[in-house]
Amino acid sequence: MQPRWLLPLRPVHSRLRPFLCFLLLGLVQFSLTPLVRAADPNVVRKSLARISNTSQEPNYRQPWLPGVTMSSSGTGWVVSKNRILTNAHVVSNARFLTLEKERDPKKYIAEVEHIAHDCDLAILKVQDPAFFTGTIPLDLGGIPEIETEVSVYGYPIGGDRLSVTRGVVSRVDFRPYAHSGIDSHLTIQIDAAINPGNSGGPVLQKGKVVGVAFQGFSGDVAQNVGYMIPTPVIRRFLTDIADGTYDRYMDLSLTTFNTLNPALRAGLGLPNNDLGVLVSSVASAGVCSGYVLPGDVILAVDGLAVASDGTVEIENERIQMAEVAERKFRGDSIKMRLLRDHKELETTIPLSNAWPFPMQANQFDVQPTYVLFGGLLFQPLSRNLLSSVQFQNPRLNYFFEAFVPKEIYKEHPEVIVLSNILADPINTYLNEFKEGVVEEINSTPVRTLKDVSEAFSKPVDFYVVKFIGNGRPLVLERAAVESARERIRTRYGLQREQNLEANSR
Amino acid sequence: MRATPFFAALLLSATTLCIAHGAPLPDTTTAVSTAVSTTATATAGAAVATDSRADFLKNIVRVAVTAQPYDFARPWSKRAPTSRRALGTVLEGNRILVTAEVVANATYIELESPDGEQKQPARVECVDYEADLALLKPESDDFFKTRPGVRFVTPQVGDSLSILQLEANGNPLFSKGPMTTAEVVRYPIDDSSFLVGRLNVPLQIRESTQSLPLFKEGKLAGVMLRYDAQSSLLDFIPAAVVEHFLKDALKTPYEGFPRMGCSFSVTRDPQLRRYLGLNGNNGGVLITQMLKDGPAEKGGLRKGDVLLEIAGNPIDSDGNYRDETYGRISLGHLVCTKNFEGEKVKVRLLREGKPVEAEVPVARRHPEKYLSEPYIIDRAPNYYVLGGLILQELSRQYLKEFGADWARKAPLDLVNIDRTQGETDQEARQRVVVLSRVLPSDVTVGYEDLRHLVLKAINGRAINGLSDVPAALSKPEGGVHRVELQGDPSVIFLDAKAVEAVGPSLLRSYGLPALSRLQ
Repeated sequence: MQPRWLLPLRPVHSRLRPFLCFLLLGLVQFSLTPLVRAADPNVVRKSLARISNTSQEPNYRQPWLPGVTMSSSGTGWVVSKNRILTNAHVVSNARFLTLEKERDPKKYIAEVEHIAHDCDLAILKVQDPAFFTGTIPLDLGGIPEIETEVSVYGYPIGGDRLSVTRGVVSRVDFRPYAHSGIDSHLTIQIDAAINPGNSGGPVLQKGKVVGVAFQGFSGDVAQNVGYMIPTPVIRRFLTDIADGTYDRYMDLSLTTFNTLNPALRAGLGLPNNDLGVLVSSVASAGVCSGYVLPGDVILAVDGLAVASDGTVEIENERIQMAEVAERKFRGDSIKMRLLRDHKELETTIPLSNAWPFPMQANQFDVQPTYVLFGGLLFQPLSRNLLSSVQFQNPRLNYFFEAFVPKEIYKEHPEVIVLSNILADPINTYLNEFKEGVVEEINSTPVRTLKDVSEAFSKPVDFYVVKFIGNGRPLVLERAAVESARERIRTRYGLQREQNLEANSR
Repeated sequence: MRATPFFAALLLSATTLCIAHGAPLPDTTTAVSTAVSTTATATAGAAVATDSRADFLKNIVRVAVTAQPYDFARPWSKRAPTSRRALGTVLEGNRILVTAEVVANATYIELESPDGEQKQPARVECVDYEADLALLKPESDDFFKTRPGVRFVTPQVGDSLSILQLEANGNPLFSKGPMTTAEVVRYPIDDSSFLVGRLNVPLQIRESTQSLPLFKEGKLAGVMLRYDAQSSLLDFIPAAVVEHFLKDALKTPYEGFPRMGCSFSVTRDPQLRRYLGLNGNNGGVLITQMLKDGPAEKGGLRKGDVLLEIAGNPIDSDGNYRDETYGRISLGHLVCTKNFEGEKVKVRLLREGKPVEAEVPVARRHPEKYLSEPYIIDRAPNYYVLGGLILQELSRQYLKEFGADWARKAPLDLVNIDRTQGETDQEARQRVVVLSRVLPSDVTVGYEDLRHLVLKAINGRAINGLSDVPAALSKPEGGVHRVELQGDPSVIFLDAKAVEAVGPSLLRSYGLPALSRLQ
């Protein structure tokens, strides 16, 4: 999913942040909803857990270091036999997870079984089956009606024990998910207080879970605005992992433009019926590449008529067309009726894989990749790197923003940046290259970090690195690099000189 | 200042540096000023000999300027007028020198004697925004009767210079400071570098703080370029640059400071030198970029050549030569200040290890030659309102509407076009037309949110400048104009008849003076 790109009319709100959290089980005896079994807080609370996460944030400035450990906490709940559901951001980068239940002094050690960073959900398993004694899996409900009451359960800041807050459903909308930074899915806004620590906790209505509390606005941007992940997203996650792996969301990877303008409709050969949306661009690395062309008009998706503003009607709601793909899984296909050069045609698009270039999303549970050579640190550009290093070179911002729209990934599946220089006599004159984007090494184009590693392992006298732009080449003599190697290792305490595998843990 | 090495490497660059915009002098003016200068020189000689305060004041005027820059976000209108106060220095030959910043986008200029007794409107006779210098001409030459004009002196590092300000009552206020540095650095127009003199001097705050003259022994050593109150560092335009400007100002059209039309890199790094085969302690800089059809290319220089010598001056590995006055300074000064447009500069090169000699016909690269003009001053921006779509040409001035931090805040693809225009080998003769915003109308329903999109073609005709637009609109297909954009969306359509019809109501409801300006 590339929502900033797929849905340009819905900018990502930069102040939206996931709540990380700090608290403990409490007991509040609200009889908020009618007499369904699980609605009794006494019953619900048995199925809740406070999750404590000792995580390790990777260090992108010094990627050879293991990273800083931190503690945070959130809420989880029993979704089915032996499974705890929570937010991905509650258990991201986890090194050690414990669960605590009310009225049980024991700390249960848990592990992440599945984690979906694109929709901020995760499943935990608990080593000790005793944890599930007396727990009742909470049932999933549907999408609650606007203005109906819901109750939020969890362990937010402000006390140690279970907290329940109550509010109404304010709206149902397609919104950005702050955890990954680039995904948007269906979201439900509620006006019940949601605070740090509520993350992962269930939101109940009539005894059924209608959502998982997950984000809100930080600071004083808005009042009484909290968001929960609705059950279609939860169900999709549970279905996706049923085969044992999480395949991520399928994404059409195309951008569209409205066809409200009468002249535009006439030019495209559209009748005056408010239907059809114009395709602006189709990412060549996406699933629609080869099936849909820029300039096509999408008339219908899986039999659902697409309105001129790019929405379809699903379950009596007008929702962005992307929602149709949202509900699909890898291996499914999607049918489109297109108008191309004034002629209608049908096409079936196989959803073979999720979007392959995740560099624009926040990444978790990965180790930074890098190559360190002659004190020069080469790293692939990513959201993670940009959020830990303050680069001055505007070209890097451009490569990041334009990575998908301008298809930079075609030439540079990874954009390799000389991100830092560990000073040594052999690189004294190389500071001007800092923050440059590597174009080629010894006349071989550099497409990925592996290319950098391979180029530097060749036995040549000179390593000549060309950067994008019109500067001079960076030249390193092999003999000089080799003589400096041990010196740089000791001086900077380097454990490893390169890591090419993000999943190296 | 971490980017300095890159900038230093660009000093020769015509792609980014060789720009200037001079208002051509009308023929008549040139004739008059040349003629007068001979007589004025004679009188001035006597005046400067007596170094008294009264003599100083004779040659100083207050300059009050009302300026009204164009609003590039609303290209049909000007911004609110602002006023500036500066000091002008009367030069021999009935001319008044100020920095160009003082007169940028001026709508009214008034000269005033220090005591305030004499006032007279003036106009700009010649201006070079790259060298940041301008000459003013009062309405009547009578103004010069009691003002013989000053002579120049070459300031040197170590000299004690006097900066002249005026008290409110017209008395002079002198501050003295030692000149510490001479170096080639950027002038206010981003891409231009020239020689700058620097001195350390605490200045008091007075009404006129721009364009202050600096004197050495009664002669003009330079004009203040900028002053940083925190560090008390004052940068000034030294006499050498001013004198070059004055010589150019006598020509029609104004030519300005020539460049070589190539960029180079320093070669200090011993590993680079060994790779290039530059052995020993020879200097030389590596040519990394050639401007297509630029002077260096015309002179036969090539990318990859090592430039060893310019006009008999050896170039060191940092791109410096030894100037007789200022010692080691950047070769940028040598090229642009010691030469004039069209002169052939002898260079010695090393090409693949062999010595080569060449002659470079140095020339200025005019701002109009850029894909995205580096500055537009005193000139109204062009625009075309197409049924409510506002079309404009991309320029740095357009991007600067996004504020001081424009390089981050403006749309990144437009910033990228501007910043990387020197990297393509093409000499840019074309413009990038941008759909900047939309004035909502009946014709633009659904297009209201479009902004800052590059326009590629209209009705199948490529658009390489606003002047291409009217012709492209003459042939709508099936009654609709097909407008192709780069990005999102890639194409939109406008009803040709509706575009015509909506014009008057756009003028009326948005208060536009005209639907287009194409000059």
